[in-house]
Amino acid sequence: MEKFDKTFPSKPFSWPPDKEWAIAGVVGSGNLEVLFERNIESPNTMECHVESSIPGYEDSWLAALEDFAANYSAGGTKVTIHDQGAAPIVVTFRLRQAYDHLLQKIS
Amino acid sequence: MAPTPENTRRLNKEERIRRIAGMTNGKFVSSNQVADVLKLIIEPDDILCLEGDNQKQADFFANQLATLDIKDLHDIHLVMSCITLPAHLELFKKGAVKQVDFCYAGPQGQAVAELLAEGKFPIGAIHTYNELYARYYMDLTPRVALIAAVQADRAGNLYLAANTEDTPAIVEPTAFSNGIIFAQVNEIVDSIPRIDIPADQVDLIVEAPYPMHLTALFTRDPAAITEVQILMAMMAIRGIYQEYEVQSLNHGVGFNTAAIELLLPTYGEELGLKGKICNYWMVNPLPTMIPAIESGWVKSVFSVGGEVGMERYTAARSDIFFTGRDGSFHSNRPMGQLAGHYAIDMFIGATLQIDINGNSSTVSKKRITGFGGAPNMGCQPMGRRHPTKAWLKVGAESNPGPGAIPGRKLVVQMAETFQSGRVPTFVEELEAQDPNIKKALHGVAPVMIYGDDVTHVVTEEGIANLAACRTIEERQAAIRGVAGYTPVGLKRNMKETQELRARGIIRLPEDLGIAPSSVSRSLLAAQDIKGLVRWSGGLYDPPSQFIDW
Repeated sequence: MEKFDKTFPSKPFSWPPDKEWAIAGVVGSGNLEVLFERNIESPNTMECHVESSIPGYEDSWLAALEDFAANYSAGGTKVTIHDQGAAPIVVTFRLRQAYDHLLQKIS
Repeated sequence: MAPTPENTRRLNKEERIRRIAGMTNGKFVSSNQVADVLKLIIEPDDILCLEGDNQKQADFFANQLATLDIKDLHDIHLVMSCITLPAHLELFKKGAVKQVDFCYAGPQGQAVAELLAEGKFPIGAIHTYNELYARYYMDLTPRVALIAAVQADRAGNLYLAANTEDTPAIVEPTAFSNGIIFAQVNEIVDSIPRIDIPADQVDLIVEAPYPMHLTALFTRDPAAITEVQILMAMMAIRGIYQEYEVQSLNHGVGFNTAAIELLLPTYGEELGLKGKICNYWMVNPLPTMIPAIESGWVKSVFSVGGEVGMERYTAARSDIFFTGRDGSFHSNRPMGQLAGHYAIDMFIGATLQIDINGNSSTVSKKRITGFGGAPNMGCQPMGRRHPTKAWLKVGAESNPGPGAIPGRKLVVQMAETFQSGRVPTFVEELEAQDPNIKKALHGVAPVMIYGDDVTHVVTEEGIANLAACRTIEERQAAIRGVAGYTPVGLKRNMKETQELRARGIIRLPEDLGIAPSSVSRSLLAAQDIKGLVRWSGGLYDPPSQFIDW
């Protein structure tokens, strides 16, 4: 098990009034879960916490998260990732999915 | 007839046939005499063609050849499409083969690499399919060809059923150059459904003790398609199929393209693309195409080979598939490859390794796989002259210079940035460039698709339009831009990537209007093999290894 935290600068996300969080994926073999939560104190950063069952890939995680923070307005969010051996190709995809859920109105 | 320099091959053939005079009943040989007959009709230095490709195998002949002693079978110049059976390797282990010219060794790739390292695999060249058939008419004309058919009638006419494959491409050059054609058949019957090979081109026939080996190569279980593959399929449909209005196409055999097939009746329909794209196909009868066919997406399908289990379905859909007068499915590998070379808007396929210039290969130091047919389709046909909308559009994008061909075929490589086991797909240099591999191939690195031919690369990160790149540096930046978190991708320059994105050379899912949250397996028209059977109205008979109910 590997755990690490890192905060990236990111343009502020405009939170819909009724949204507090969004989630994508599941913690299951070969998969991962991404949770976005509101972080009122820090509107210009994306705060990340990663827990992965497979050690040794911190650099790739950080590169993917850094790109995401640069490409999307994700300031004012706290991102928690629980990984159970997901392929690297799933990481950005789940981030995009969870972010997309944040944007959608609750029906 | 007196021997003259003009007829030595004919006389030599007659001599070989005389040697087995007491062992045949007309053209027919009993299966327990095949080994002895092979000994007598094959001579040292012969170019011997053993039929076998990635689907259909003259495996009875292969097994019989493997039993022969080196004194009875040696100095053979073996020509064949695919080295895929253990029996094929036996010939090399024994040292019976002085040279081999072939196309593909997929499942035996590792064993071939080992034999090569031991100096027991003397390669002339690794070819693409049509390239090898072409050489059968030039400098590699077989002296003896051992072929496989489903049935023979009493006169010796052959029926090939759904799996025509290479047979006519082997028979014609051999039969019309005084070579010997020896066919193994599953059964000898009074009358065959249709004549695929006429009796006067066939010299010898054996009813094999077991039916020829057939591999279900193109069956992909929808249950194994991942969400990432669905995302990539949606990107391809939006960014390429729709963008260029692709009318005619070839699909590779991977899960990525299977996902596209299963999204046409759902996502494609939603985009209003039915009838506007994907009308004409050059593919084998892929079970994952059944939902698109049943939903009226497909006008016609021509195939290089059959697919196990699709016999009743293809016969029942003769408006779509090419069928004989008897009603059953017909395929032809050389002609299908030709169609895929000249007459399609797009080739789209997967690969294992792509370098920073867009060259791709499935060869690694440990696995010599070879090519097959993909390069015949995944390339720019320099002899093409007819325009289509897609062809002209890509041509215009790639800004051809004066005197250049005005159009281009879409050649699309679709691959996740990592293979299973966290092996990166994108590399700085292909393993195919390994000096030992190049040496064994007389200086030629086994590149599957050349970067110069590729127009688009699709990964889970986005689409890179290589055709629109103006310089090689720009092409490399575009490839790094979609190479994700592989070592190649990590070397990208973010500013450069963003500039390419602003110019539309790199497009991310959101640039194509795809909401990542909409990506779901529920978009697949069929969820599993059983779903395909249901769509087919019970006409698809999946092979047992795909049945889990």
